Amino acid sequence: MREVSVLGVGVHRFGKTGDDVVGTKSVTELCRHAVQMALKDAGVSWGQIEAVAAASSRFSGGKGWGLNGNDVVEDIGSTGIPVYNLSAGCAAGGNAFNVGYALVAGGVYDIVLVVGGEVMPKGMIQTSGVEEATDPEFLRQRCVGMPGPSFWATLARRRMFDHGTTEEQYARVTVKARKCSVGNPFARFQKEIGINDVLASPYVSNPLRLFEICPVSNGAAAAVICSAAKARQFTGKPITVATSAVATLDFSDALPRGLAGPVPAGPSFHTEAKAAVMRAFEQAGVGPRDISFTELQDNTCYYELAFPEEWGLCEPGEAQTLLESGQTTPVGRMPINPSGGFVSFGEATTAMGVWQIAELTWQLRGQAGARQVPGAKVGLAQTNGLGGNATAAILKR
Amino acid sequence: MAEKRSSGVEGAFVEEGSVAGGSFVPALRVPAVPGLFADEGGAKVFGNKCVSCGTPYFPKAADCHNPHCQASRMEDCAFSGKGVVWSYSVADFPPPPPHKYDKPFKPYVIGVIDMDNGLRMVGQMVDPLERVRIGAPVELVIDTLYHEDDKAYTSWKFKLV
Repeated sequence: MREVSVLGVGVHRFGKTGDDVVGTKSVTELCRHAVQMALKDAGVSWGQIEAVAAASSRFSGGKGWGLNGNDVVEDIGSTGIPVYNLSAGCAAGGNAFNVGYALVAGGVYDIVLVVGGEVMPKGMIQTSGVEEATDPEFLRQRCVGMPGPSFWATLARRRMFDHGTTEEQYARVTVKARKCSVGNPFARFQKEIGINDVLASPYVSNPLRLFEICPVSNGAAAAVICSAAKARQFTGKPITVATSAVATLDFSDALPRGLAGPVPAGPSFHTEAKAAVMRAFEQAGVGPRDISFTELQDNTCYYELAFPEEWGLCEPGEAQTLLESGQTTPVGRMPINPSGGFVSFGEATTAMGVWQIAELTWQLRGQAGARQVPGAKVGLAQTNGLGGNATAAILKR
Repeated sequence: MAEKRSSGVEGAFVEEGSVAGGSFVPALRVPAVPGLFADEGGAKVFGNKCVSCGTPYFPKAADCHNPHCQASRMEDCAFSGKGVVWSYSVADFPPPPPHKYDKPFKPYVIGVIDMDNGLRMVGQMVDPLERVRIGAPVELVIDTLYHEDDKAYTSWKFKLV
């Protein structure tokens, strides 16, 4: 395997349909902005891109077939290059990065573009797109009605029982996240919020409140990656991809994703995420305590507390203490989501894994402004998606 | 819950006390998805079990998913009975399709239940949030989920005992 570098990154600021940021822009326009920004950042022309690894969306573009990479190539230039459209629910961006990374590391291509973008329908994400009794997700939604927020709320409720986490502590995660987003030019929300405002927001799924759950957003992200040898032709300070890993749900997962699972179950509530992160640690030869900062998938603030514990970044039950003592802020000893996270960006589902690569790159270059993690050397990114998909990437300078 | 009697159609019951056109007429009770559960002779869901390793499945699995199982040998099973609440949440807003519900929407509790039969199951709770606790004992019931075309569509749910 060859060493792989991130040469350039680009993001279209996240927003909501009709606002001043994304307005009525199509997913193609959002992607065009992100791709051109990444090409410029990399100092690479479109003609030098040898292949595209794109996140497949079920919500926008892609001719309804998830052909989102083909949309980008048609829009920017039909150079005849191979396009890989990767589908993995909300983990699709991370999956596209993984495939792009593998293609470069394996010597198939020297320079690859990774891209993901979304224009999301408003409201709660409709998780099942089929009406078939053979589809477990359809059965779960028709016979029970357990949308994403209720899945997260079930985890949050169990954590309150297991670790004594309070609703105030969940609210404090949002307060911290939104404070990080101030001055982040790509975040949808860039204003601080008080704990009373969070606690006054209505329950979406008790015990989780509106401001503790990420909304859906429109946005796009792109990254130009290449072999380390090639990178030296463009820059003296490339960011290195220490590794990229993908995993799916394990039999021992504790919370059923369909209608039922066996008990006793294992201790992990997200075996796919844990497996991807553990695999990444192993492949990169780094341990959880070597990580300077983490960008993880906080669909709700519960994850900012639970995931660092599941992955060994801190002890079980310790994350809320670290939160309250300020250790999860960009200047703390375990910075989590210095970008402001999904809670500040909203979820442009399939763009998220690529957006995280951009965030990690800016942090490791020291270009993250007010949210900069001082002396950041190693960054961890993680996404998960419907179907039991998860991805992890470790970048270093 | 309303009294019910068998309508003579398998899996279908008549729900007494539904109001239509100003007079009480029984609504035919039909499963929201056929073949998954039944109410006759006590609430039960239809799954299967690997007799090699004992892993239960609902809905039925074609083969055992346990990576440590040496030989997948599946046998049909009707699961019923009792369990305890492992965790729970509330649908405070109506879920998107393909969920269906009666309007106006009423928030409901969703339980994740550790059943005595070895399944950790998800399902709606018939009880209000104020009464639900982790560890509380529950039983499986069949109850109405929504009404459509003068029929009451049912699903499995859990009820505190």
